[in-house]
Amino acid sequence: MTGGTGGGSVASEKRGLYGNRNVGDDLGGRSGTRLGKLTKSTAKPSVPFGGRYRIIDFTLSNLSNSGVDTVGVITQYQPLELNRHVQNGASWGLNERGAGVTILQPYASSEGEKFFEGTAHAIYQNIAYIDSYAPEYLLILSGDHIYKMDYEQMLAQHKAKKAALTVGVMPVSMDEATRFGIMNTDDTERIIEFEEKPAKPKSNLASMGIYIFNWDTLRRYLTESYATGSGLEDFGKDVIPAYLAHNEPTYAYAFHGYWKDVGTIHSLWEANMEFLSPHNSLNIADRSWRIYSQADANPPLFVTTSATLDRAMVVDGAFIAGTIIHSIISRNVKVGEGAVIKDTMVMPDAVIGKNVHIDHAIIGENAVVGDGGEVIGTENEIAVVGYGEVVGRREKE
Amino acid sequence: MKKGEIAAIIDLNEDGALGSLTAARPIGTLPFAGRYRLIDFPLSAVARANVYSVGLFMPRSSRSVQDHVRSGEAWNLDLIQGGAFLFPYVATRDYANAELRTRYYDNYSQFLRRSGAPYTVVMGARNVANIDLAAVLAYHKLGSSSITALYKNVTPNRVRADDPLLTLSELSTASAVLNASQQSLSGHEEKLPRFMEVYLLDTVYLLDLLDQASAAGEFARLPELLRDAVLEQNANAFEYTGYLALINAVDRYYQANMRMLQERNFQSLLYSSIPILTKSKNEVPTFFAHESKVSGSLLGTGGFIEGSVARSVISRNVTVHRGAVVEDSVVMQGSKISNGSLVRHAILDKGVVIGPNLVIEGTAEAPLVLSKNQTVFKPLDQEANTHA
Repeated sequence: MTGGTGGGSVASEKRGLYGNRNVGDDLGGRSGTRLGKLTKSTAKPSVPFGGRYRIIDFTLSNLSNSGVDTVGVITQYQPLELNRHVQNGASWGLNERGAGVTILQPYASSEGEKFFEGTAHAIYQNIAYIDSYAPEYLLILSGDHIYKMDYEQMLAQHKAKKAALTVGVMPVSMDEATRFGIMNTDDTERIIEFEEKPAKPKSNLASMGIYIFNWDTLRRYLTESYATGSGLEDFGKDVIPAYLAHNEPTYAYAFHGYWKDVGTIHSLWEANMEFLSPHNSLNIADRSWRIYSQADANPPLFVTTSATLDRAMVVDGAFIAGTIIHSIISRNVKVGEGAVIKDTMVMPDAVIGKNVHIDHAIIGENAVVGDGGEVIGTENEIAVVGYGEVVGRREKE
Repeated sequence: MKKGEIAAIIDLNEDGALGSLTAARPIGTLPFAGRYRLIDFPLSAVARANVYSVGLFMPRSSRSVQDHVRSGEAWNLDLIQGGAFLFPYVATRDYANAELRTRYYDNYSQFLRRSGAPYTVVMGARNVANIDLAAVLAYHKLGSSSITALYKNVTPNRVRADDPLLTLSELSTASAVLNASQQSLSGHEEKLPRFMEVYLLDTVYLLDLLDQASAAGEFARLPELLRDAVLEQNANAFEYTGYLALINAVDRYYQANMRMLQERNFQSLLYSSIPILTKSKNEVPTFFAHESKVSGSLLGTGGFIEGSVARSVISRNVTVHRGAVVEDSVVMQGSKISNGSLVRHAILDKGVVIGPNLVIEGTAEAPLVLSKNQTVFKPLDQEANTHA
């Protein structure tokens, strides 16, 4: 939301509100199961990424960099770690007076419990929150994508097209198109058809799960649908088809750049390995579009005389006595002498003992791999050690 | 420990000759161990001791202090009650004017009265240590004096002529603070009590001292007042046993950084029960390329390392290009070392750029210092730098 709070703000003439959906997989019975052990006790957006980030940092930083200053984070599944990470949004510069980050959790009221049955239903349940800012536009996002995007440009197109809904889309290869929700557009970018995972795609514009709505219109659709008992639960399945059926002006906004859904163990691993490349088009080191995270005060990285670092990304607080090859080592990770870690992402506060061998793996936060332990995966079958899990031998201190 | 039981005075007007390193910054904001500024150590000690009110008494060049401390949030000092209070520098020429002289003492008194804290710690930033103020306070309460002075026993070879020492009596009280050169030492002492320039006092007693000084005809700065107080009424002497480094000369600054490369010192200073807090800077992880060779070093985030780094302290955002070699050096944030250059026994201040195929070399005793934002693209006239 913007309300003209300084440079680069979006929609300066009227307020726009930006909700941040991260219910995603946590609803509809899928409960984040595709990230297996890693989301057993935490929501997907708070899963660590790239050594010093959590997945939601990318979305929150994009919002901050785009001049958005009011953000609601909708959460339902295992919200503790996410709440602790987001706090008041200060780490992303989102703690302005009269704006800021609000965590929107399910609650009980005199009308009954307000659990979220789907992405659109979550917005319906939080109408009072959104109304309190009286926005003109509502931006809906996922908290589980790795990308850098200027939402202000998308809003500019939304306004220029006088759209009721703009859907962020990403051109993918025709092969991949069968795995996504595909938007078929006319030559003015207007969406004329939406197909979920089409066997024979007519276009290659995959939905990124990023939407800008005119709030008045969306509010009317949601309240009317729930009043008549045919509630619009999900944006992809219900809201977009309803908009198309009623001929609401719905447009696609094509995004070009690095974008990765990290919804599976393999894609999370792969995104981390891509992040390692100095030539990654995400360009994490670009200071004009920085990715912020919760500030930690860790000691500097300590590299002993027995260490070897080869295509490694390492963060402060880490203590490295072993060999790191093509891997990411997060904050406060200890790696013992003689240990060899290859093609692996090690999450914060993990302890890797001496002479450990790790290959093609993701090591969860606070996990311990005891001296001489082995964690071996393959490119097709990434090995995972869960949060706080202890594997291998552990010698007495 | 109760919140707000101690108020803290951090006096950043400290002596020391570090040449170009302190030309535009006080000792208190010198970068340290690749991650910190020296002021982080006293601020972390007071954060840990639940101090509500911290008075920062500014040095002549205060920009770097204000930029680093900001609201004090990193040390939990952005409080509703208390917080970080910044007091302006009082120039020496103003001491002659009685009215301005009064203002010098008034700054301290007003701060202390408003803090409401029964005890006050007075410290600087040039003594790098990890002090548990709760333990010092407990000791102070047991002592008979209203002033406690901190010291560490060090071997005589680590004491220089102008280092302050406590004169200890048998009863673990200090009767004086004197520089080593003023002491009559036998030369056979195994240990000497190095005064750490940290005092804990009853606040009412400190207020008395300030009132008396304000009424006196002669001007004395706070450190002199406190030395006189020890002489007059003896101090409780608290022995500190952790890591200590006095940063008041270039070689000492260099050595203190190098000592952080020993795991024992690193753990003792940075991984004790008191975490050292500092302003966090959202840098990206440091990348180590295939050709890189890194050994026995400390590194900050945001770095890009393609060359060799050995026995060095490297701050955030430093680039070491292919074929470059950095050994036994301190490299501050944002510096770049180009292909094929050698940097050995040197201190590179912030934003130094070393062009390709150059040799930048000092000695362990007299490290070569390159000043902030200095760019070097041809062999150095080293005479111009070594005196720093």
